[in-house]
Amino acid sequence: MPQPVTYRGMSLVIPDNDSEWNEYFALARRHTLMVRACTACGLMRYPPTHACPWCMDLGWKWQEVSGKGTIHSYEIVMHAIQPGFREITPYAVVLVELDEQAGQPTPDEALRIVANLVKPDFTPEAEAKVAIGARVRVAFQDLSDEFALPQFTLTDEAPVGRVWRLGG
Amino acid sequence: MSLRDKYCIVGVGETEYSRGSGRSTRAMAVEAVRKAILDAGLKASDVDGMLDYQGGDSTLAPHVAPDLGIRLNFYMDVMGGGSSTEALVGLAMGAIEAGMCKTVAIYRSMNGYSEFRIGGTGARAAQPVRGLDLAQVPFGMRSAGQNFALTFMRHMYDYGTTSEQVAHVKVAHSKHASQNPKALLKDRVTVQDVVNSRWIVKPLHLLDCCLETDNATCIIVTSAERARDLRQRPVHIMGVVGRVSKPRLDFHWAHGPISRVAGYYAKDLIFPQAGITPEDVDVTGSYDAFTFTTMLQLEEYGFCKKGEGGAYVSSGIIELGGKRPNNTSGGHLCEGYTHGMSMVIENVRQLRGTVDDYCPKGSEGVHTHDYTPGRCRQVKDATISMNLGWAMPPLGSALIMRRS
Repeated sequence: MPQPVTYRGMSLVIPDNDSEWNEYFALARRHTLMVRACTACGLMRYPPTHACPWCMDLGWKWQEVSGKGTIHSYEIVMHAIQPGFREITPYAVVLVELDEQAGQPTPDEALRIVANLVKPDFTPEAEAKVAIGARVRVAFQDLSDEFALPQFTLTDEAPVGRVWRLGG
Repeated sequence: MSLRDKYCIVGVGETEYSRGSGRSTRAMAVEAVRKAILDAGLKASDVDGMLDYQGGDSTLAPHVAPDLGIRLNFYMDVMGGGSSTEALVGLAMGAIEAGMCKTVAIYRSMNGYSEFRIGGTGARAAQPVRGLDLAQVPFGMRSAGQNFALTFMRHMYDYGTTSEQVAHVKVAHSKHASQNPKALLKDRVTVQDVVNSRWIVKPLHLLDCCLETDNATCIIVTSAERARDLRQRPVHIMGVVGRVSKPRLDFHWAHGPISRVAGYYAKDLIFPQAGITPEDVDVTGSYDAFTFTTMLQLEEYGFCKKGEGGAYVSSGIIELGGKRPNNTSGGHLCEGYTHGMSMVIENVRQLRGTVDDYCPKGSEGVHTHDYTPGRCRQVKDATISMNLGWAMPPLGSALIMRRS
């Protein structure tokens, strides 16, 4: 894919031989959230890796997931480190637990993804709305013709479990 | 086969802690290694092994040893930051045990403020984003604080830990730093000072975060047999574990509970090695990259029950005069940031009884144990110490030492 993609002052580089990421962000540009699934045991994993962390099999295929999940933890960046983020600070970084495969194969494991919690226009969601337990869904932020970042937005679904926010 | 008590730390040394050293990491490393050699009562020709760690920000052993006239039989330059200190102590023991060398100098030299800023600003922020970094850096998650905050926030959710509780870590370490002539920040602070300082990345305030510092540090490891004839009272290594990891070190959030840290696994290795329990430890050095990291490790290693770390660190136990003081030099929050080395150096001095505080004859072992500001920081009868090294939530190291 044309390199590099520039976003908020960063060069996002995916060499042609980067067999972990090459297709993931291109699939995201087609607005599908795909993770790798083991062709032997069927378990999915993220980020993309080359062997199954549970059965060590090398076989895998891309598998689409719904992109729906729950905020498992979050942070609010008040002091940006990367210069390109200063104009959108404060912003939320969220750890989203996807609905698929939560608590499998052991109770502590899940498909979890780091992203920003954003409004539909991809500006940061208000801090007062960020909470552990809040329901979210994926929203694809297109950065080039062949690259999109999977971000997350709040949904109107009922929260899961105890809703909690810092100072709330 | 147990190596308990068969190896010792016999020399320690460090440069000034500053925010602008004005010199190279090579110059600083040479000073720190030389001081540690002299502290041990060794000669350059006695040192034949060298280990160092860095992240592309320092000078490597082949350029440091020759400056001091050291001919090496073994060396290794290791990639890494926090948690490397204890791991390299273990590697030094292994190298000596294997007959590869006899005495190893371990150093870390960094211009962490004036050159390669540890906080991730400047040159580090401008690096292209590739590989596994694509899973987090494009989302504005770049610095250590940004990397760890998800863990800290989840701990607050899981266990009700409060900002005020963990602020006590900074309060305690600032108290200790007020007894340390070397410390960059010598002023004592209050819980209110911490929680009223500006936010960096919630739940971290400015005063929850450690310093960025220029310095070099060195410790020297040799056999207990060799240590007997040297200048200092030997400090024996009872147990060591290095870079113990949670599952999925590549993306540790995949395997929870995310409020669990690597000490969960490390404790089951190190306490049996040393043949002790947490109750036997007199002084700890729990890595304080942030207030939360000290708290998380103390609870994970069993100094209190899991989830009760907030209550533990706010109880007074970790302060000088308390039952088990932590980071008596002021640590990375107040003394200066050294990627863990200074905390081992401090515990070596504690066990020797020669902490370099404001007691006129402190370095000779004469201490008042008066913990009012500007006086003493020697722990009375410190017999066993434990260092809890931190790299990130899923990665840590530990070291248990005793006085002879």
